Amino acid sequence: MRATLFFTVGLGALALIAAPAALADNGGFAPVTPESPNAERIRDTWLFVSIFILAIFVLVEVLLVTFIWRYRRQRRQRFDDGAQFHGATSLELMWTVAPVVILFLIGGFVFYKLPGIADVPSASAGGDERLEVRVTGRQFSWQYEYPNGVVAIDTLRAPAGVPVRLEVTAPEEDVIHSWWIPALGGKIDAIPGITTETWFEAERPGVYDGQCAELCGLEHAQMLASVEVLPPEEFDAWLAEREADRVAVELGAEEWEGVCAKCHGLGGEGGIAPLIAGSPILTDPEALAELVRNGRGEMPAVGSDWTDEQIQALVAYLRESPPSGS
Amino acid sequence: MAVRAERTPAWQRGRLASWLVTTDHKRIGILYIGSSLAFFVLAGIMAMLMRLQLAREDTDLIGPDRYNELVTIHGTAMIFLVVVPLLTGFANFLLPLMIGARDVAFPRLNALSYWLFAFGGLVLMLSFFADGGAAKSGWTAYAPLSTQDPGNGQDLWILSVHILSAASLAGAINFIVTVHNLRTRGMSWTRMPLFVWSIYVFSWLLLATLPTLSAGLTMLLLDRGISIGGWEAQTNFFNAAEGGSAVLYQHAFWFFGHPEVYVMALPAFGIISEVIPVFARKPIFGYKAVAFSTVAIGFFSLLVWAHHMFTVGLPNSLNGFFMVTSMVIAVPTGVKIFNWLATLWRGNLIFETPMLFALGFLSVFTIGGLSGIYLAAFPIDWQVHDTYFVVAHFHYVILGGSLFAIFAGLYYWWPKMFGKVLDERLGKWHFWFLFIGFNITFFPQHMLGLEGMPRRVYTYSNGEWEGYNLASTIGSWVMAVGLLFFAWNVEKTWRKGKRVGNDPWQADTLEWYATSPPPPHNFDEVPYVTSARPLYDLRRKLREPTGYRSLS
Repeated sequence: MRATLFFTVGLGALALIAAPAALADNGGFAPVTPESPNAERIRDTWLFVSIFILAIFVLVEVLLVTFIWRYRRQRRQRFDDGAQFHGATSLELMWTVAPVVILFLIGGFVFYKLPGIADVPSASAGGDERLEVRVTGRQFSWQYEYPNGVVAIDTLRAPAGVPVRLEVTAPEEDVIHSWWIPALGGKIDAIPGITTETWFEAERPGVYDGQCAELCGLEHAQMLASVEVLPPEEFDAWLAEREADRVAVELGAEEWEGVCAKCHGLGGEGGIAPLIAGSPILTDPEALAELVRNGRGEMPAVGSDWTDEQIQALVAYLRESPPSGS
Repeated sequence: MAVRAERTPAWQRGRLASWLVTTDHKRIGILYIGSSLAFFVLAGIMAMLMRLQLAREDTDLIGPDRYNELVTIHGTAMIFLVVVPLLTGFANFLLPLMIGARDVAFPRLNALSYWLFAFGGLVLMLSFFADGGAAKSGWTAYAPLSTQDPGNGQDLWILSVHILSAASLAGAINFIVTVHNLRTRGMSWTRMPLFVWSIYVFSWLLLATLPTLSAGLTMLLLDRGISIGGWEAQTNFFNAAEGGSAVLYQHAFWFFGHPEVYVMALPAFGIISEVIPVFARKPIFGYKAVAFSTVAIGFFSLLVWAHHMFTVGLPNSLNGFFMVTSMVIAVPTGVKIFNWLATLWRGNLIFETPMLFALGFLSVFTIGGLSGIYLAAFPIDWQVHDTYFVVAHFHYVILGGSLFAIFAGLYYWWPKMFGKVLDERLGKWHFWFLFIGFNITFFPQHMLGLEGMPRRVYTYSNGEWEGYNLASTIGSWVMAVGLLFFAWNVEKTWRKGKRVGNDPWQADTLEWYATSPPPPHNFDEVPYVTSARPLYDLRRKLREPTGYRSLS
């Protein structure tokens, strides 16, 4: 009766864990499906380590359950002695040395895979030169700068099949953030005053999502990032178009959604920050520049390094589609 | 014993007053445990609120501001006000009894230590009412997020942790001096109970690392700016704009922060090493290996701090160094696990509540230890760092590890503390609800982390994480029911618990030689200690046929 009860409860608990597993991408039992060689090598390392982890886990739990069953009291007296032995040197040596060997193997495998994960390739296998993008994390948006000066917010466009090297940093007056797109590799912190690097090379066009991984304040949860991998021709066309039109309404829209709306709401209706729809500052380039470059009161300097063109792009967007206020 | 009998002033003899002025290590131990359990209720409610907020996507229950306060105070409180002081409470109550002493070396310092702790805890909890609310930068208080928060909560957080550190330092010095000087006749280092070993190493770790934390927090405070009577000053240790480094704070914090994990784990290991032999009716397997592994873990824990910083862009040669040192710790930890398993081997296992919690500890702490190997391999850490995988990992270590051991200890030593044994039936309900609820809550969080959910986010909306989050929230309620059974058990035992004798479990160590509860001076006499199991020796001696038997 009692055994049945425990069995039912146990199965129920297991089902509760297993049901979402079936729904989620690979169930969450390994890092997400890799789309870049570094992410793939990290996943390989995960799988290699898992062999030992699972073996040790099964060994310990099986021994535990076996001993619990085998050496339960049964018909002995409550305080009868068990076998009075104090140790066994050979056994103890064995379970000291065996883990050392396993850890040696794991450490060795990590160093074997490390160059393929950490070193940025200078060109793709097909000979395409790598692309360099500067990533700046700030409360609560990501800004990308391409070598030709083109700027984008939150969505990083990249060409398929080309290695992309990211220089990651944060403005000196900002806080620490962490750049992470799970399908495209590990995370790297964006630290004020320090520049770190990471890279990816995605073969398949698509949109890969991630978000800031280091608590960075009020809207940390909204500091989303995504990488949109485009076929190379499409990417080149997009980059050229943005280079030709430095005050593109499209850039203004990115800025509104990525920088302003996270606190003030998509319609400027206010959220954790005040209502701004209808404010004259929104269409006054000078006042707007003053505000986003320096911040005011509780509002951080969300655009401390914005160019005049970025300000104009935002104004252009706001003139074209003024926030509705709801 | 030539103890001068000082007359206690009348005002100190009252029922409440006697607790306020006490310097008795047993009463201080009970004060520690009682206050920590009260803080546990508060920090637990904070956790439940966060789980409610995360149960579904885009929930509006708790705003981002409040959520960050809960994240910060839940973490800080569980570590500084719950797990560490619960273990300190056990250490206070048990250390002198286990080594056959009358009290700790410095009883007044001990009382100071408790009152500092209680005061520091109140400062932390009351900081919710500060201007701008409680601190919002996580229990790690990373600069410059923590230096930029304009509210007073962060200042109170720093003040509180400073006070708690002072309390811990006083306690640590007290325990070290006590172990060195007050062991009874015959109790050599290799005859000390393993719990005493663990408290000894715990104390050295606190002594070695708390000053670094204090330095880091003082820099944090100065960076936030101070003003004393119109005189204002502000430093820029962590301010990049003025040439400071935000990473410096992380070094100072984690040089303390990682050993702190072992401060919470080692005494828990010590409790398990006391409970398992008694309920297996066997000596611990490999006493010296278990004691030495405690020292080894303590030593290596001082060399691993930067494994919390694999993503700040340190050179990979350094990352490699910290990977190797972190993995080295797995070896003595593995030694402990296998020695505990071998202690079960060929035993006469009795499944009373302390043993259930000890076995539960073994089964789940193993998971927490193993997931640590993934985190030590730094390229894997680049994926799972700062995600729910890490949240799952350290809850398996601290809740599944330390807290399960603490419950084992509470059920085991309750009769020594209060003379009454906790109810077995309620104890079993408590265990099973907590064990099952714990796994439902935290196992799915491993998957959430691998799926890409960062920790410390107040909401999410990508359509993929709801299932596991909901399971986790349901689990938290199952755990809460388990803890209600414990509360019920305490209340019921208080009212009509069964009185038991000095040694209800037929245990091995000296504290069971004293009466339950022990008198203020602990022992009228202490038997000469001939092994690590003095009471076992004593019982065997009593059973041995003597020369007189043949005459009768």
